[in-house]
Amino acid sequence: MRLEIKNIHKSFSGKKILHDVSFTVTTGKAMGFLGRNGAGKTTTIRALMDVFKADEGHFLIDGKPFDPRQYNIGYLPEERGMYAKEKIINQLIYFAQLRGIKKAQAKASAEHWLDRFELGYAKNNKLETLSKGNQQKVQIAQSLIGDPDILIFDEPFSGLDPVNSQVLKDVIREKIEEGKLVIFSSHQMTYVEEFCDEITLIEQGRIILTGNLDKIKNDMGQSKIRLKSSNIQNGELKDKLIKLTNCHDISEDKKSLIIHLPENNNLNNFLNQCLKAGIEIEMISPYRPSLTDIFIQKVGEEHA
Amino acid sequence: MHNISKVFMFELKSILSKKSMIITTAIISIVLVIITTVPTIISLFDQGEIIPIPQDKISMMGFGFVIENEAVTIDELNLFFVDVEIFESEADLRKALNNEKITQAFIVTSPTSLTTIVINRELYSNASYPIQNALTQLQIQRNLIELELDPQKVNEAYNVKIAINEEVIGKDASDSFMIAYVLMFAVYMLVIMYGAMVSTSVAREKDNRTMELLITSTKPDALIIGKVFANGLAGVLQFGFIMLVGVLGIVINRANYPAEILSVVVGGLRWDSMLVFLVFTFFGYLLYLFIYASLGSLVSKMEDVSSSVAPITLLFIAAYIVATLGLQMPESVIVRIGSYVPFTAILAMPVRYFLTAVSWLELGISLTLMTLTAWLFARISIDIYRLGSLNYGNKMSFIKALGQIREDRRK
Repeated sequence: MRLEIKNIHKSFSGKKILHDVSFTVTTGKAMGFLGRNGAGKTTTIRALMDVFKADEGHFLIDGKPFDPRQYNIGYLPEERGMYAKEKIINQLIYFAQLRGIKKAQAKASAEHWLDRFELGYAKNNKLETLSKGNQQKVQIAQSLIGDPDILIFDEPFSGLDPVNSQVLKDVIREKIEEGKLVIFSSHQMTYVEEFCDEITLIEQGRIILTGNLDKIKNDMGQSKIRLKSSNIQNGELKDKLIKLTNCHDISEDKKSLIIHLPENNNLNNFLNQCLKAGIEIEMISPYRPSLTDIFIQKVGEEHA
Repeated sequence: MHNISKVFMFELKSILSKKSMIITTAIISIVLVIITTVPTIISLFDQGEIIPIPQDKISMMGFGFVIENEAVTIDELNLFFVDVEIFESEADLRKALNNEKITQAFIVTSPTSLTTIVINRELYSNASYPIQNALTQLQIQRNLIELELDPQKVNEAYNVKIAINEEVIGKDASDSFMIAYVLMFAVYMLVIMYGAMVSTSVAREKDNRTMELLITSTKPDALIIGKVFANGLAGVLQFGFIMLVGVLGIVINRANYPAEILSVVVGGLRWDSMLVFLVFTFFGYLLYLFIYASLGSLVSKMEDVSSSVAPITLLFIAAYIVATLGLQMPESVIVRIGSYVPFTAILAMPVRYFLTAVSWLELGISLTLMTLTAWLFARISIDIYRLGSLNYGNKMSFIKALGQIREDRRK
């Protein structure tokens, strides 16, 4: 399956929220939809889920118009909510039935996911009797019932402790391996980086970056290296390199210095200059930016 | 359509399994059983103790008299009353009153004047009236004797009875008053209680953020129609059960009910009246439930529900006032107009039909207007529900929501 979000525009009360949003998601590859708070992630997802209509643009699946109610979609909205005073198993079956899943299948699937999230003991309890974290797990279970072909998670990790985050990560990995179409939005980059093949960055309602994560990292890391010296501290090393070489774009993080080699200075030449200046090299490697680095850089460029 | 039944069944089960619902129904039913059994209980205690009161005489049990200046004699009072208790002095009379041995005291100071003493006077107290009437009759007799006229003959001359043979071609309002009032009140309670329940139920789904999950799983039509019908049926089941208990109570105890009370309660029961009542209640109830549901979806916090539904509740109270007026004056202009206006016709038209003759044409026009309005508001409430599902900010006004829907449709 190939889901295309094409040229989506949306305004509320005259204020434009989405500007020509376009990106593509394919089966078997997880898409991380990233953006700051208020960037337009949830609005895009809600338009995709037909909570409201887009002003312009199309959602296509395999080239045909996409009607979310015609597909078995597991959806975890950002605004979490289920019936506090209803039995957990009853409402899980109800939500699944509304998505067109038969009652018996819904019941078996609900029990399976409750067991998987270690909540089988509470299936006949009211939702309000569970802790916030466990309620969150029930809501995730809700989105997984009936083996949906498409999974849309809006900020799935928010509110989960590290153990439960790991359980969810495992589930998402499984679903990707099973060839499901997975989209999830987040502003927690580490989770996205772990298992997303594709990313789309949205800022102020505009897509500022979309594509394969590895390729983006390679492209953005080109002509940049990491360097750490065993005899000179990073701060001193940075000043020295600026004087010795013609590299002026040098930054540092916890690991090392990140040096952008100018076009007129190749790696061999740079290394020679360092060795001649008595710099003992502890580590040198091509620089691959983290998703956080990419995010900060791209958002910064957008505001520049 | 398929999902309407799923929403309907889920909502209905959820409402009917609520403890508050079960307990309320049980308490009201028990109270109703007790009330309808009261005549039987009284008959059990009163058996063998009934002393027949002579015809045309009134019992003065619980009242006390002091007669001053020989204003009247005990024999004269006994012409009109039984159980007359005479006290020696005003002091004795007041003492008996203070000790609550009697509830009202009368001091006859002259043949044409009397003082009455009571601890607390009720709004519609008329205990003095029979005494006043008796003293008047006695004084007329004295005056006639003084004029040398025979009171017996004068009485015969005055006592002319005109036989009235009344034929009611249409309906006798006195037959149906009680049943019309009971059913009108039941519908009033039904709409007020279950209207509030529908709007609360919708608002709760926004408050606890369930709505987004629902609205992405199925169409808003299915959600709101299922919800409205489930709440509506739950109300009908609860009220139906309570009324059934009441009817059974009356039927079981009917042997101990005075015939005149039974005729007042069930005298107006006719199949055509009941059919009109059921049809108008059905569509009117739906109309109000859809409006209540749409108002519930305009708010995002539970505490805003009451202010959101206040205008429609006031409108329904106005409908109740019009219908109450209809019980007294079913053919008045305001009641006639009210029986055509869909928001008031739910109560006004059945009341009119119970009490007076209403043509099938009038019924047809009113019912058409009501069903069209109910359909229109069902459509509007679906759009508002969809619109309201996204509005998590401040409470949106009904008019503003309609404007927004119109704008969305133009796009």
